[in-house]
Amino acid sequence: MFKQKVNLFILSWLATLLFSANVVAAAQEPPLPETFATHKVVLQISDPNPFKQTLVLNVANNLMKHYDAGDLDLEIVAFGPGLRLMLEGNANTARIQSLMDVGVRFSGCANTHKHFTKILGSKPPLIEGVSVVPAGAARILQLNAAGYQILKP
Amino acid sequence: MKKQFLTKVLPAAVMAACFTSPAQATNWLMLQGTERADQAPRAKLWGFVQLDYQQTDDTKLKAGPYAGKSAAFNQMAPQLDTPSGFNVKRARIGVRGNNLPLDKKVNYFLLAEMGNNGVTTGEGASQGQLTDASVTLNHIPGARVRVGLFKTPGSEEGLQAAFVANYNNFSNATNRLLLERTFDYQSGNTGRNGPVGAFRDTGVQVFDTFNLGGWETSYAVMIGNGAGLAYTDNDQNRDTYLYASTEKVFGSSKGPRRHGFKLYAWNQAGQRSYNDGTPSSSGADTDEDRTRRGVGTTYFDGTYRLGAEYMTADGMIYGGTTGAGTPDDGATFTVLPDQKADGYYVSLGYRPMSNVELDVRYDRLNSGTDKNGTGGAGAKRVFETTTLGAQYFFNKKTTLKANYEIRSIDAPNSNDTVNRILDSIDDRISLQLTAVF
Repeated sequence: MFKQKVNLFILSWLATLLFSANVVAAAQEPPLPETFATHKVVLQISDPNPFKQTLVLNVANNLMKHYDAGDLDLEIVAFGPGLRLMLEGNANTARIQSLMDVGVRFSGCANTHKHFTKILGSKPPLIEGVSVVPAGAARILQLNAAGYQILKP
Repeated sequence: MKKQFLTKVLPAAVMAACFTSPAQATNWLMLQGTERADQAPRAKLWGFVQLDYQQTDDTKLKAGPYAGKSAAFNQMAPQLDTPSGFNVKRARIGVRGNNLPLDKKVNYFLLAEMGNNGVTTGEGASQGQLTDASVTLNHIPGARVRVGLFKTPGSEEGLQAAFVANYNNFSNATNRLLLERTFDYQSGNTGRNGPVGAFRDTGVQVFDTFNLGGWETSYAVMIGNGAGLAYTDNDQNRDTYLYASTEKVFGSSKGPRRHGFKLYAWNQAGQRSYNDGTPSSSGADTDEDRTRRGVGTTYFDGTYRLGAEYMTADGMIYGGTTGAGTPDDGATFTVLPDQKADGYYVSLGYRPMSNVELDVRYDRLNSGTDKNGTGGAGAKRVFETTTLGAQYFFNKKTTLKANYEIRSIDAPNSNDTVNRILDSIDDRISLQLTAVF
């Protein structure tokens, strides 16, 4: 009898824990944008090659020019070495800010940011306007599941 | 006044420093001393080659101790043993970047020369000669610190990257006043005691660039050994270098041929140690001043190009070879330890097509202008060269340059023999193929 009660307690505790974890995970999941755009695109930058930074920004710029305003929803997600693109003081800051001005969202990976902090010994600030998402790769999958096409220049 | 400085000027300067984005174009201080923030790799391999052909008529000396023999000024540098030929003039390879890519506040620059020129010749020089090895610390807003061996802030002709020079040879003033040759003795030297200075020194430079009202304004203050490419200081004297420039950049053009209008000024001061005797009759070691200063301007809008610079020199000045003979014929090199000089160049370029540039440059050097200096009034020499040139750009990184130099040297205060020696100078043609990678 006692054994059954203990098992029941453990099961209910595990169930609670699992449920709580789901709630926490759901709470950490960044919200999906509300958009009626026909084209939804997520651009991935995770490459250590600095040339890719320019390439990603060029692609974003060209997409914004190609589609009519409101017809394209675009988010750039950086993780791994690609997060350098979104560090405060990046040589492309002016370009990033002008893309933000026309509605492009920039999301940086919290895991990578934490790793950068460990390497540098202090937290490198991100460009103002960059959103931090718990995991860059997960954010891309989340957007993909919501109908966003993934482009990795 | 002090309060006003602290409350108004200082914050403005700090703000300017904070909002300055490093320019990577014809701002040579930034281009060579910094990397684009969060854009540089750990190690970027780069370099360039310059393949040269030069020719004169090899007119023999018309007078003097080496009459009938080859004239040094009609031979190809640095060996001075042939009037024409092909030459791998420059072959440089290097790496640069952020050693820790995540830390944009530290970058480095390493370059070595393997071509045949003044850098790789001279006593102790190597065919693989280190020309640049520096680390830049970008931690203090408005005061970046570059440490090591690198190009000193100064004349545009010396400070600019060699692979974007618009002519195959330096102007007379740059060549004889700034491209420093070092010798042990004031006369009787059979050769240089090291590589040419190559417009470089080992030391510490504080510098930065600010956007002031749309003008990209830079400064640099440097202290160095004053020993060129030598690894150690050859005396206890330090050279100081001051530089300021301001440039209106046109549009969004980038790269080493950026469009803009620049004004600049510079000053270099130091001392050099020489023995006032000769190798066969040694004298006393003396310290002589070496001061150089200049002002200049550049303009390029994609179609028209202008470059002009005026400079003065006081103290030690290169004197060439005795009787304009060649080392092979026994002529030796001299230095004018206490003289004055001034010189200038005006250069114009026009691009009738995007891949063709036509150039013309007039340059003049008045050397040995101090009648009370070494050699007296008779030391004066006037070098004049008009260079006609054309450049063909195969692509952004590959250029063919053709030059025809109309050259003359006069000695207005000297006798007929000296002027007949100098009349031996030929015009010179040169071709140069440059490829950057």
